[in-house]
Amino acid sequence: MHIDRLERYWIIAVTAMLGVFMAALFVSVVVFRVQLPSPVGRVDPRALAETEFATPGLSDLGAGRYDMHIVAKMWNFDLGQGKGEPAEVRLPRGAQVTFFVTSEDVTHGFFIEGHDANLMLLPGQIASTTVRFNRPGTYHIICHEYCGPAHANMVAAIIVE
Amino acid sequence: MQAAQSLPQRRPAPLSFPRLAMLASERTLIGAHIITALAALSIGILMGPFQTFRRSPAFMEALPDWKIPVFTYYYQALTIHGVINALFFTTFFIVGFSYFVTQRSLERPMYSRGLAWGAFGMMFVGLSLVLYAIASNQANVLYTFYPSLVAHPTFYIGLVLLVVGTWVVTANIFLTYAQWRADHPGERVPLAVFATLANYVMWCVATIGVAVEVLFMLLPLSLGWITHTDPQMARALFWFFGHPLVYFWLIPAYISWYTMLPRQTGSQLFSEPLARVAFLMLMIFSIPVGAHHLFSDPGVSAAMKGVHTILTFVVAVPSFLTAFNIGAVLERAGRSRGARGPLGWLVRQDWGNPVVAAQLAGMILFIAGGFSGLIHASLTLNIALHNTAWVPGHFHMTLAGAITLTYIAIAYWILPLIRGRALFSRPIALAQIYTWLVGMLIFGHGMGAAGILGIPRRADLAGSGYISPEAATWLNSAAIAGVILLISSVLLFINIIGTLFFSRAPVNEDGPITTGSSDGSPLWFERWGLWLGLMLFLALVAWGPLFAETLDLVNGFNVPGFRPESPVPLQ
Repeated sequence: MHIDRLERYWIIAVTAMLGVFMAALFVSVVVFRVQLPSPVGRVDPRALAETEFATPGLSDLGAGRYDMHIVAKMWNFDLGQGKGEPAEVRLPRGAQVTFFVTSEDVTHGFFIEGHDANLMLLPGQIASTTVRFNRPGTYHIICHEYCGPAHANMVAAIIVE
Repeated sequence: MQAAQSLPQRRPAPLSFPRLAMLASERTLIGAHIITALAALSIGILMGPFQTFRRSPAFMEALPDWKIPVFTYYYQALTIHGVINALFFTTFFIVGFSYFVTQRSLERPMYSRGLAWGAFGMMFVGLSLVLYAIASNQANVLYTFYPSLVAHPTFYIGLVLLVVGTWVVTANIFLTYAQWRADHPGERVPLAVFATLANYVMWCVATIGVAVEVLFMLLPLSLGWITHTDPQMARALFWFFGHPLVYFWLIPAYISWYTMLPRQTGSQLFSEPLARVAFLMLMIFSIPVGAHHLFSDPGVSAAMKGVHTILTFVVAVPSFLTAFNIGAVLERAGRSRGARGPLGWLVRQDWGNPVVAAQLAGMILFIAGGFSGLIHASLTLNIALHNTAWVPGHFHMTLAGAITLTYIAIAYWILPLIRGRALFSRPIALAQIYTWLVGMLIFGHGMGAAGILGIPRRADLAGSGYISPEAATWLNSAAIAGVILLISSVLLFINIIGTLFFSRAPVNEDGPITTGSSDGSPLWFERWGLWLGLMLFLALVAWGPLFAETLDLVNGFNVPGFRPESPVPLQ
């Protein structure tokens, strides 16, 4: 099978370019430690009250580290806020938070503005990611998967002081 | 390997097709598919601009109570837009085009007209059922229909009928090919049919995923035969299918670029063997890459995400091969039109011929669309982009850009052949193509920029509290693009209706079919059984471990179904 000389150069150049892209990805994972959501565990969405998600909210582990459990449901995020209170949480600057999030009904999304946090929330699965909040400001947690009529209003906030 | 050295003694006379008309049998069958496809498109396409209005802060400030006409629930309109455009318009159009390409390239009728009409009937009933389910507000689940959202059973039955119909189409095309092969031992099948065969092989493997999902999980849940489901397993099965699906749309557009554009531009294909390599690679490597849609999923390991990322870069190769090959076609075309200098040919193209211009406009969009795809297929960058407006920005430059514009190019010559009259208006066609190009560029850029700022996709943003002023600017620009695209869509349908009912001039553009094949590619390229085996092997390697880690019969399958309107579970 004949392959033209110029076309051969093109194939080599394209392969090399894709190789560079892949190397960059490798560096982002190995050197910069960008983490992807990985399996944490399963949970029974019908019985969240008997699990670690019974009382959602922030727990202080000391030294600026926190765990945060959140339950997504049609159509709000339960961060442990009281009835009628806004869905928001205040954090000191520099806080490193490991989020554990699940859904109790349908598929939801979990996206924190301005930070590398992007999770699908599936009922039955625990999703987890760790985020450090270095810059003061208000960052929305946005549900980014369609979950019903009020989907676009399903939002919470993280206030970094 | 050389071409056939001993041709068979007795070969049946090939069926001869008129150049500027269709046989009556062709006209009815292909016409039914193409016109159904365009009718479906006319419903689906209008929803798009309306959605951009609802997502534009400036528009909703000016008209706070504005709702999408008829399909007033935003997500109902969005379901129509996705399901009808991406699943039904594409499939009907591809099947009609496949029949035309197969019959004319092989110079023989389809193996069975009965099978062809049976498949059409199934797909048409499928379309009707799905339209009923969505129009009656019982299937507001979007075109990905992720459980535990549950739609009315007619929605799933309609989808099953569509897919089973395409399986029958596949059988018919392969039986036709087998007949041709028996008469032409040792010959290479024409490139357009080669690509068509590759497309349907890929499609049959891919649809296994969605068939298992719908038949064993969603339809029984919807009917109440089972009470619980597993959303992670459903997403894995859906995206086993979902990525090859995009190549199922793309390959017919590539058939037009590789086998028709050279004739339409007075050029010739640079390298047919590498065209075949590109189609084989698209077919084989479309399967083991789908987990790049699952990068943010909690139940899929980072290792499997990495494997699928690497293979995703492999499936970019055939599109780069295409860029070279089609670039060479256009260079020759440009130089024959008097282009000078190394890059003059980029400008000296036949921009005034709708059939060529639509494909060129599609290619311009495909450059931006293709690279945006490589970006969000990169697993770490995807964290910033997954499920943001970036994603529809991407696929409106690929699917709604390159692919749909190429289908429109095909419609601009195939509709006249179906009707037996010339295209109604070339100026309107050109205005349609360039408004589409400009509109889609503005839309794609606006959505991409809004996505980088964190604006989610598939959200009825009217009244949502998280749009920054900067993001609002880009969403407003997408709505301006919506107006331009609305105009373009109206121009498209003026031409379709004009061609079908009001055109008087005789047909002047033929169906650019090549019957023979130039030598040079090895005959083992047509060992479909070998490729099928390789695809199933790759599917096993890339998807086996993923399904194994997703499947949990003890602790999984514990999620009840929900209607989108209510947080109360169905069971």
